[in-house]
Amino acid sequence: MAAAIRPHEIADAQLIARVLVEDDRHAFAELVKRHQSSVRACLRKLTAGNHALADDLSQETFVLAWRNLKSFRQEARFSTWLYRIATNCWLAHVRKRQEELLGDRDADIGDDDRDDADPARDSGDHAAMTTMKLDLERALARLPEAERAAIVQCYHNDLSHEEAAYVLGCPVGTVKTHILRGKQKLKTALAAWAPSVSTRTS
Amino acid sequence: MNHSSDPHSTVPLDEAGDWLDRILAGDAADHRADYIGDEGFTSRVMRMLPAPDALPAWRRPFVVGLWLVAATLVATMLPTVFLEAARQAVTLVAARPFSLSSLGLGVVALGAAMWTCAVMALRRD
Repeated sequence: MAAAIRPHEIADAQLIARVLVEDDRHAFAELVKRHQSSVRACLRKLTAGNHALADDLSQETFVLAWRNLKSFRQEARFSTWLYRIATNCWLAHVRKRQEELLGDRDADIGDDDRDDADPARDSGDHAAMTTMKLDLERALARLPEAERAAIVQCYHNDLSHEEAAYVLGCPVGTVKTHILRGKQKLKTALAAWAPSVSTRTS
Repeated sequence: MNHSSDPHSTVPLDEAGDWLDRILAGDAADHRADYIGDEGFTSRVMRMLPAPDALPAWRRPFVVGLWLVAATLVATMLPTVFLEAARQAVTLVAARPFSLSSLGLGVVALGAAMWTCAVMALRRD
């Protein structure tokens, strides 16, 4: 029987070693507890807020991590490796369904005429911020999967371009291109949130 | 309304380009700050894991015994084949003239093969 594990006293690498050597399920449970929030948050972002789907994919991610832990060679952080599995799970799901994941959600949000909302007309900063976040979420959801994934990995998961390339399984240059293209599309979609500028009056 | 495309804009280009970075950075900061409570998630994952291998303790000696029996049976049933193979192998090796250089070459070749195997086994990628 494995000894009880006090949180954050043991490094991920030691817990992984326990899982591999002793088939210690308590150690794996500790790893899941440590990383569930970031993995679920990442998938919520990738699925643009579909929490149920994100949680299903998160569970799949951790089960795959358990099965493939032997192949984790620590060339990246464990969390980065988990992001890689999570992103692959999400991409596989997208390919399987062959439809836009958040089409329905887009329609729901789109029906409340937020497109026509002028940020300046919102009563307070908080309301404007909430509206902006919804607009951003919707704009992210409309991006192609590769561009969305690259932006989520680099901005929301705070990964370097190299780490994002590892997660997405593509060259660093491709990641940069995806981010550049994605940001161009976001700029267009979020044009209403661009800072208002004064024009020269003659 | 976006005026940033206005050719008479007084906002510097880099500032006009930074607004999206600021929005993304703010959203990312909120994203990282929002901790998602476990709420039974870990338990659900652990329930989904494949059941642990519960092999009986006698399994290994039993399998080894079976292999021994099989090998003995094969050796008993085909004695001439084994004898002939062994005789041929001895003849082949004994017929070769050994010299110090060939012995050294053999050792080097064996070492190289071992190194290759070790590198293949230990390579990280």
